[in-house]
Amino acid sequence: MDERRVPPSRRDFLKLGGTSLGALAVGALLPAPVAQAARLHGQVNARGDGVVHTLCEMCVWRCGVLARVRDGRVVKLDGNPDHPHSRGKLCARGQSGLMTTYDRDRVLQPLIRVGPRGGGVFRKASWEEALDLTAQKMIEIRDRFGPQAMVFSSTHNLSQTQFENLLGAYGSPNYGTQRSLCFNSMVTAFQLTYGIEEPARNYDEVEYILLVGRNLAEAISTSETGALIQALDRGAKLVYLDPRFTKTAAKASEWIPIRPGTDSAFVLAMIQVIVSEHIGDCDFARQYIVGCDDLPGAMASYTPEWAETKTGVPAETIRRIAREFAAAKRHALAHPGWRTANFVNSFQTERALATLNAVVGNVFEENGCLSALDPEASGVTLGKPPQPPYPRVSAQRLDGVPWKYPLVPLKLGVFQELRDAILSGQPYPAHGWFISRQNPVLSLPDRRRTLEALGRLDFMVNVDVIVNDTAWFADVILPEASYLERYDPLAVVEGKVFLRQPVIEPQGEARSALWIYRELGQRLGLGDYFQYADEEDYLRQQLAPLGVHLEDLKQSGFVEPRPTHPRPDRLVFGTPSGKIEVYSETLAKAGFSPWPSWEEPPAPPAGQFYLLTGKVGQHTQFATQNNAYLNKYQDEPRLWMNRTVATDRGLQDGDWVTVTSPVGSVRTQLLATEAIRPDCVYLPPGFGHLSKALRTAYGVGASDSDLHVSFVDPISGGQALSQTFVSIERG
Amino acid sequence: MATTPLAFLLDVTRCIDCRACMVACSAENNVPMDDTRIWVSGSGVLGAFPHLQRATMPYHCMHCLEPACASACPVGAWTKRDDGPVVYDSARCIGCRYCMNACPFGVPHFDWNRGVLEQPLISKCSMCAHRLDLGEQPACVQTCLTDALRFGPRDEILAEAKRRIAARPDKYIPHVYGETENGGTSYLILSNVPFEDLGLPLVPQEPVNSASEKIMRGTIPFALGWAATLSAVAVGVRLRTRGRDQTGEGGAPSGTDPDPAELPMKDGSS
Repeated sequence: MDERRVPPSRRDFLKLGGTSLGALAVGALLPAPVAQAARLHGQVNARGDGVVHTLCEMCVWRCGVLARVRDGRVVKLDGNPDHPHSRGKLCARGQSGLMTTYDRDRVLQPLIRVGPRGGGVFRKASWEEALDLTAQKMIEIRDRFGPQAMVFSSTHNLSQTQFENLLGAYGSPNYGTQRSLCFNSMVTAFQLTYGIEEPARNYDEVEYILLVGRNLAEAISTSETGALIQALDRGAKLVYLDPRFTKTAAKASEWIPIRPGTDSAFVLAMIQVIVSEHIGDCDFARQYIVGCDDLPGAMASYTPEWAETKTGVPAETIRRIAREFAAAKRHALAHPGWRTANFVNSFQTERALATLNAVVGNVFEENGCLSALDPEASGVTLGKPPQPPYPRVSAQRLDGVPWKYPLVPLKLGVFQELRDAILSGQPYPAHGWFISRQNPVLSLPDRRRTLEALGRLDFMVNVDVIVNDTAWFADVILPEASYLERYDPLAVVEGKVFLRQPVIEPQGEARSALWIYRELGQRLGLGDYFQYADEEDYLRQQLAPLGVHLEDLKQSGFVEPRPTHPRPDRLVFGTPSGKIEVYSETLAKAGFSPWPSWEEPPAPPAGQFYLLTGKVGQHTQFATQNNAYLNKYQDEPRLWMNRTVATDRGLQDGDWVTVTSPVGSVRTQLLATEAIRPDCVYLPPGFGHLSKALRTAYGVGASDSDLHVSFVDPISGGQALSQTFVSIERG
Repeated sequence: MATTPLAFLLDVTRCIDCRACMVACSAENNVPMDDTRIWVSGSGVLGAFPHLQRATMPYHCMHCLEPACASACPVGAWTKRDDGPVVYDSARCIGCRYCMNACPFGVPHFDWNRGVLEQPLISKCSMCAHRLDLGEQPACVQTCLTDALRFGPRDEILAEAKRRIAARPDKYIPHVYGETENGGTSYLILSNVPFEDLGLPLVPQEPVNSASEKIMRGTIPFALGWAATLSAVAVGVRLRTRGRDQTGEGGAPSGTDPDPAELPMKDGSS
């Protein structure tokens, strides 16, 4: 830190948290003007009233938003009827977005830490100083240790391409994303089996739905959640596997509280029934499935009777569901899932789900319920600013991809392994961490290790809209404009090009990520990689090949250009064989089972519990708990425990308990409920914040990151978030 | 202004308790952070593991066809609009909270944080009447991602509710809550679980206000009349006393009790 170079006066120090934080948000006291662009374009009148079309950022689904402005202030957000994700509707998080923009804890000026790391004492700085300092530190690290000593990490957002551009131009191979904590097993399995990352679901004609832990009523994607409920209303049957009676379970035709970690046994047995009884779509299988002839043999031991011993679900139930599923043929859907980081064997569950869909032939048929057409193949290719090629990277990746994890896709990575490499200094030490709108202090397992890793760094910079728990430990905080205050790169959804545009001007000194990365790039001597004058110039370059003007997007928030290339009209599986690789030569060559197969998961010792995680409908991961509306309408986060088990232990609803795992312990209040298996407890995620600069969220609930043991699936790199076992004591 | 009576339809089987309606309502109506005009009502988790059931609904003003709140209000702060909403005029409200006691659904609630001079005092769903004036749907309905909430002319909404019951008799309780409850409401509810499990009160079909209304409507006139009586008595006494004082003699009886039949009570207006 360079406190000595610019000696700050004492009154510039900001002890974050408590009442003094108000000084941070001083810009918010002056109303931010309506976005100049919106006014110039006529969406907002001279009095500051109007409606601006933009995109939501309360989760990664990115619904279309109509932002209503009155007297220069955003007063209401509605879903854009023209956007396929929102279809005129927003979920509780989307509706709450204005409270993220007008959060009293917004960081609105660049901050530089002055006290010890994690002490929460910062001073205000100019952009000039904060950016100069950041660039200077990054150059020092590059010159002394090489670019690989700088770690970059970020989570799904529209400016991610430019974040990755900064990383590529700088020349570091070390990129951490949330993916290994979320969907590595799903994406890796479907890449290996179908050759695409995530098959699309089609509920229009679905008659039979199998959701394996996919809690769509609480892990909400507005359009998909709506489509599921519509299908159920039509009379579709829903079989739902989950150790908890979630809000999705409450809507299911059949809830099966399966033993944690045994989903793959259930699905493998379904496949066994279908292939041994020849009730799948044999024509499809023969034409498109690699390993079709040998599949019955490979599945032979996975009988429903065998699966009953693993899952606790009666064999007859599994057999019946397999037959019902097969009878529905292309009207059946086994959902691939989303956050599938549950057990080390979750990759096998995903492989089994890919296979189950394939054997009933719903993958290929027109209007089949699982579309193997890549949803990214939208027929529209955007332009981008010219730039030189990236420098060649010769250093190994700290997260072990691919030298330790040969099959993990490079873009997914193994985040928990990256953290451990920072801690161990192996295979080489990291010295700096650049984090953009991500909160690994809450998201990574084993928080104690994450905090230790932060302590090893020479330099840490965060880009965010609030001082989240990770920014709390940063040396420099760069305040990003909220999603209602800025432009971002364009989003293409189903052939339509959508625009995120400012509704109001950024409050305080906050600036867009596009601006921040370009300014940093220029200071790092990498200006050639950021050849855009400003955000609108960047967007114009994106639109250039489409023959569309930026102004055309501003009014309605989107355009539907003529496709730049034709959409594929038939299935092309992007696997080495061009078919569905139920038998995978790639897996065999890497030394793994080429077939979807059973891997016995660990079980808790007597007296201990599976610690389950899972979303709530009012929050997105670890980022929204400080939103005042969501705080208002969330359930109090308590540890769920089966009521009978609690009673046997002399515990009552509301009692304080200590939850202890091999890596840590937390105190929390108990929710005694019938809605969970007796061998499980569940802690709602996203609470237990450390940052005192989050005045709404601080002090609420406990964090399961204090408890989670780090696990890595050797095939997909996925973390196993339900494989930690805990003991519960009163007090 | 459209005068077609409008109504909500809630299909409980489609409600996932996501609370988007609650946030939308709070933002649309700038509801204070410590207040809400919609709350989740529901069965909780019913049964014993693993045979469980759970149903939820957004609970808010029923917008009765014959609203008890309006009948109970001594100052006319509540109005049932022709197009459906029961709306509140804070300028008229004197904070007596009769409406809270009168409502058979327990909906209107008092803002204890504000003094009587700081309006408004009573909070409840307005059916987003200001949005209806613009031809829009209430904010909760507009954002309901599962279409559990619908909105439209009450007769059409009621017909749709009955059509759904007829199409899926296995699924629904064969009754549309609000069709007749308390004389009929503008919030019509379809459910797969007994309505009392959702926290909905079992109210008589006859509006609760029909009995009380005759009495309640007389409250102010009666009070005024009684005040007039007492005043008259007082004036009479004073006159008499003064006359005595001034004349030393008993004056003419000028302060006789007014004839009750002459009170404005009988026309029932207030």
